[in-house]
This record gives sequence, C-alpha cells and structure tokens, in this order.
Amino acid sequence: MIFNSLTFLAFIAVFLPVYFALTGRARLWWSLAGSYLFYGWWDWRFLTLIAISTLVDYYLGLRMGQTEGEKQRKHLIWASMLLNLGFLGFFKYFNFFTDSFVDMLQGFGLNPSVHTLNIILPVGISFYTFQSMSYTIDVYRKDIKAEPSLLKFATFVAFWPQLVAGPIVRASDFLPQFQKDHDWDWNRFTTGAAQILWGFFKKVAIADSLAPFVDQCWQEPMSFTSVNLWIAVVFYSFQIYCDFSGYSDIAIGFARILGYDFPENFRTPYFSQNFSEFWRRWHISLSSWLRDYLYIPLGGNRGGKMAMYRNNMLTMLLGGFWHGANWTFVFWGFLHGLYLIVQRILGKPFGNLMRALHFPNTLKVAVNIALVYAFICLAWIFFRSPNFGIATDVIANMFSFENFNLVSVMNKFIVMKGFLLIAMLLAVEISDLNIQWSGVVLRSPVFRVASFAVLLWLIAFFGTFGSNAFIYFQF
Amino acid sequence: MKNILWVIGVILLAFLGDRAAGFVLGKITQDSQFRYSRLYRGGENCDMLFAGNSRGLIFYQPYIEEKTGRTTCNLSYNGMPMDLAAVLIKDFLDRNSLPSTLVLDVTLLDKRMDKRLVTGFNCYVPYSDRLSALMRDSFPNDFYGGKVAHLYRYNSEVFQRVFYYLKKSDKDWLLDRVISPTLQKDVEKQGEFDYDFTPSMVESLSDVVRYAKQKGVRVELVVNPYYPPFAEKIGNLEALKTAVEQATGLVVHDYSNSISGVEGFGDYQHLNKSGAREYIDKLMQDGILGLPEEMGNISGK
Repeated sequence: MIFNSLTFLAFIAVFLPVYFALTGRARLWWSLAGSYLFYGWWDWRFLTLIAISTLVDYYLGLRMGQTEGEKQRKHLIWASMLLNLGFLGFFKYFNFFTDSFVDMLQGFGLNPSVHTLNIILPVGISFYTFQSMSYTIDVYRKDIKAEPSLLKFATFVAFWPQLVAGPIVRASDFLPQFQKDHDWDWNRFTTGAAQILWGFFKKVAIADSLAPFVDQCWQEPMSFTSVNLWIAVVFYSFQIYCDFSGYSDIAIGFARILGYDFPENFRTPYFSQNFSEFWRRWHISLSSWLRDYLYIPLGGNRGGKMAMYRNNMLTMLLGGFWHGANWTFVFWGFLHGLYLIVQRILGKPFGNLMRALHFPNTLKVAVNIALVYAFICLAWIFFRSPNFGIATDVIANMFSFENFNLVSVMNKFIVMKGFLLIAMLLAVEISDLNIQWSGVVLRSPVFRVASFAVLLWLIAFFGTFGSNAFIYFQF
Repeated sequence: MKNILWVIGVILLAFLGDRAAGFVLGKITQDSQFRYSRLYRGGENCDMLFAGNSRGLIFYQPYIEEKTGRTTCNLSYNGMPMDLAAVLIKDFLDRNSLPSTLVLDVTLLDKRMDKRLVTGFNCYVPYSDRLSALMRDSFPNDFYGGKVAHLYRYNSEVFQRVFYYLKKSDKDWLLDRVISPTLQKDVEKQGEFDYDFTPSMVESLSDVVRYAKQKGVRVELVVNPYYPPFAEKIGNLEALKTAVEQATGLVVHDYSNSISGVEGFGDYQHLNKSGAREYIDKLMQDGILGLPEEMGNISGK
C-alpha cells in the first residue's frame, strides 16, 4: 500500500477511529494487524520474512538479556546478524553477486554457465532489517534491555508509517513509547496533519512533477541537448529529495497523530556547507545508524588520519551498497567517501584561501553551498543511472555544451513548472530557518486554517496523481 | 467545539477557495488565445484546419497564411492520440465556420502517443460532451477528481499553455533550432522504427474523415517529413498508409523523405521553421493546401 493511493485513504479512514477507540494490548494488536495489512497489500507472502525476522530477533534479544557470558552473547548477536543480513543478502544481492562473479570470470576468458534466480525484492527490506538489527545490537551492547513483550516488539518492527521507507527508528527511541497509551491529542493531530500535507505536497506536486522530465532524459541521454541534461540533473536532485523526505514527513506526521515521536530524517540538506554537514542533514536515520553501528565500531576518528579515511570510505561504500545491488550505487557511495576525505584534507586550506581573499561571510556561505550541491549532483548522476554507460553518456553530453541555449530546452512548460515548484520549496525552507512554520501552525488557529487550505489547493493544482511509488521503496 | 469549528473552517475555506480559483481559471481558459480556447469559444473562421501530434505543428501557420492569404487553424499538440484528435476535430467542425480543407498527419496513429494527454484537457471538459465522455470513460479518476476539486481541472501543461497564450497568438509554436550533431549520430545507432497502430485507431481516423466529408470539408491525409536517416529506419510506413487508405478511401501523401537538408530539422522527427517553410512550399505545389484556382493570391506571393 502506498500513501498516495485511494486504498490508503480507505485504510486510514478505518484504522484511525478504531485505533483511538481501543486501549492497551487491543490497540497494539490493532496496530500490528494494520501494519501487516499495510505491508501484505503489496505481497502477503513476504509477511513471513518480517514475521521470521521478528520472532528470531525477539528470541535472541531475550536470550541475550538473560545471558551474562560474553562468548554466548557474541554467538547470539552473530546469529541475529546472520539471519538479518542473510535475508538481505539473498533477496537483494544474490543475483548481483552471481552476475558480478560471472562477469569477473568472463574477464578471465572463462564462460561459466551460472543461472540467476528470479527473486522478487521485498519492499522496504533494507529498512526493517536495519531497524530490527539496531535492537539486537543495542541489547548486545547493553544499551537497552530486551523487550519482554513479543507484541510490542513485533509492532516496533512492523509499524506501518515507517515500515517500507523509514525513517529507521531505533528501538531505544521507539520501544519506550509503547509503555503507555496515547490519547487523541488535538495539537498532535494538527501538527501531524500539517506535516503530512507538506509531505504530500513534496511528493505528489514536486517529486512527481519533476519525474517525467528526468525519466525522459535518462532513458536516452544522447537524444537530448546538453542544457536539458543539466536541468534533468537539478530536477533529479530535488525529485529524490522531495520523494524521500516527503515520505518521511508523511510517516512522521502519521506517527505523531498516533501518539509517537519519530526523529527528523531530513533537515534542509541542500543548504549544507560541507559534506559532513550534508550527511547530518540527509537521511539522518540511516547516516546516524551507519555512524553508530559501523563507523564508530570500525574505529571512527580514532587511530590516525589514514584509519579515519579508511573508515569513512568503508562506511560510505556500504551506505551506497545498502541502497541497491548495483555498482552505480557503490560508486555513489565511493564518491561521497572521497568527498569526505578530500574535504578533510583540503577543507582548512580552502577556508584559509577564502579568508585571505577577504570573501564576505555571505559570499563564503553561498560558495560553499553551491560547491557542495554541485558535487552532490554529480554523485546523483550515478545513483540515478542503471549502469555506468548511461551515467557517462549523461556526463559527456552535459559537458559537451552542445546547443546550450534556452531554445533547445525540451519542454519549457514542464521546466518552468519544475523550477517554480523548486522555488516554492526553497522559499519555505529558507523562511523556515527563521520562522519555524510548525510552531506558527500550532500557535495561530487562523494561520493553521489558511495553511491547510493553501496546501490542499497547491496539491490539487500541482499534484500528479498516478499512484507513483516512492523511489526509496526499491531500497 | 472550537476544534470542530476549526475543521469546518478548513473544509469551508478549502472548498470556497477552490471554487473561486476555479472560476477565475475558467475565465482565463475561455478568454485565452490558445487554439483550444478559440475552438470552444466558437466563431473561428479558418479556411484550412490542420491536425496531428507534435509533428503536426510543422504546418507553420504564419508562413501558410503569408503564402496563401488564407486563414488557418491548427489543432496539433505534442503526443496527441487519435481518439482525442477525433474529439477535437469534430468539436471544431460543429462549433466554428467550416474550413474548406482539413489536413491531417496520419503518424498520430501510434500507441506511443500520450494516452494520458486527454487528462490535460480537463479544463475544456465543461465545454464539450464528447471530451467529457472520452475522459469519463478513459480516466474516471481524473474526471471525477476535476468535479471534486475544480483546481484539479487546471492542473496540466495544457492549462499552462492556456495561460501562456492568454494574450498572444500560438500560431508561431514551432521548433527554431537545428538538429545537433550528437542527435544526428544517435539516429545512426537506432534500430528499426515501427508505427504501433491498431484497427480502432484507423477506424477512429476514418470516422473523422467521414464526418468532415459529410460537412463538405475536403480532407487531405499526409505523412510529414522525418530526418532522412531516420525515415529510412521506418519499417512499416507502407502498412500504415495501406491501412489508412483502405479505411478512408483517400490517398495518403507521403512526404516522409521529402526534405533532405540537415538545416531544416530541429530533431529527427520534427522540422524547424526553415524546414517547415520548404515543406509547405511542396504542399502548395502539390495542391494539398487547396487547388491553385481556389487560392487567389499564391502567385503574387
């Protein structure tokens, strides 16, 4: 089930009233049933994966909680890792590894007869796997206690608002919130609904309006002039941002209405002045997951510069690989790893240079933001491309600057609409730095009524309603 | 109680604002100089009517009017599918002075045309029963969506063009660039191109031809030019022509390979302004735009 569908509208119309009519365990059962229905609507067979993952991690968590011996605890955490990463490896990466292995052998002149399997990628497997893993790791580290209630744990793993595309909510943040019933709260409803509407606007109005232009250019990059590809890359950077952050806003908004607080997942990432800052603002729940469960255990910033560069690169490579079974994602991760390393090496001299040139602070900020954005866009080209051939075609055509003029823009109306929507988004984000719209929505009833109505009008006037799935579902 | 009032306030404001904005945008749609606004306003007086997909835009009206001294209307639109073209042509013939000639580019008979384009014409649904029926049958969600939220009717590229052409003519709508060397090379790499047409599309075209003929309009069917290396890759042009000729009883004039210079193309499917001029001269010479004796001042131009 996807948020921008009539099915979901029917789902929420039934789910919400019953949810608030129930209390205690009945409400948790209802939440779990709703979550399984939400996921099973896509393919009920894969509910068994979530159920197995839940049961095993619940059991292993309990055992770890009861076991003091370090060796046994290690065995238990390894069992959890094997199960979760085994599912992920099989369903997401099996064919990729097989194909890559065959390609490698062919490179050596061998021609092996290896068959791939017709494996369907379960929606959101990377998200709920990481969420479940965070629980067992935290129990292993004794950061949290094992959850004694299977019902609560199962609801934590499968909670429908963030099940298929995050944010990845840690057990330490989420499980304690199951300890009490959450009554209907009008303030939570209005702020949650405002965030949901804003998320829908980002998804159906901005992301889905930009998508056709981007898709067309990426389908046959050599068929379009250079200027079109430049526009397509800018559009894609906002498409993926609005698609993914839109989903997060909707998920966080619904959770808020239901009484739960989820962490922020995006914080105006394209205003970052350096790459580390970008990763503190983009997909925050994943980057903090990778930081806490991968980068720091690898050694983090400790152990000298070279070790830190290695840890940075490994984390980003795995972060790229997490997104999908394709070398282009790995390369995207590699580029981000490289950016972080280069930034660490050149950041200081670059800052000194700016100071020596007496750049005014505003200009310095603008240059930093522009540079970071440009390099992030370069990495997005690989992220969006199905293979390196397409990615290099896009880059080659962009930098050919052939027919680089407004006349050769493919469809000026779509482009104008796209830039208008991006400008609206940026205007809200820039103003939000000073105004804090969510606070204003909460304080002023008149503003609240007006902002809801305006968002509804904007969605009706600019929205694309073709039940387009969210990009991050595939991850 | 306060909260209930708040919800009622949101619903009321959203509804009233939607209706008010819908009214204003409806007025803009009616008053625009865009081709379909003029069509549905009625009273257009064109000697020649053209139709097609984006390739139909190469019937470059300013040049035709300059050369023939006749008035023109063009119903072409990017990705126009046959069923929508049929509705627009019939509506045009019902609501406006009858043209003497209808020239139609048959290459819109292709499944690759934009079937969803009809949803873009939601802003004209209040003015046409045919369009309304087509939309209700093909895209009921969009049709009823437009009834619930009037703003949704104007959520399309077609309406953007309505707004853009509010005070200016759309007759100059044609590419004004030359096909890039990259695109020229790209054509060479491409495989065979086939029209993906269906019997129902051919029947729809044939129905339009009958309708126009019954009203006394002369109909000319053409295949507009392609960039020659691309034209050579078309595999089933003869099959398309034969199917159309059998269904309509008319000759399909094939100009697919009639313009040779690279300079005349904007890309491999579309002539630019310069190529369009060359093509129109050929159409005039061949009498497609009207018999020489009907066209008073050709020789003077």
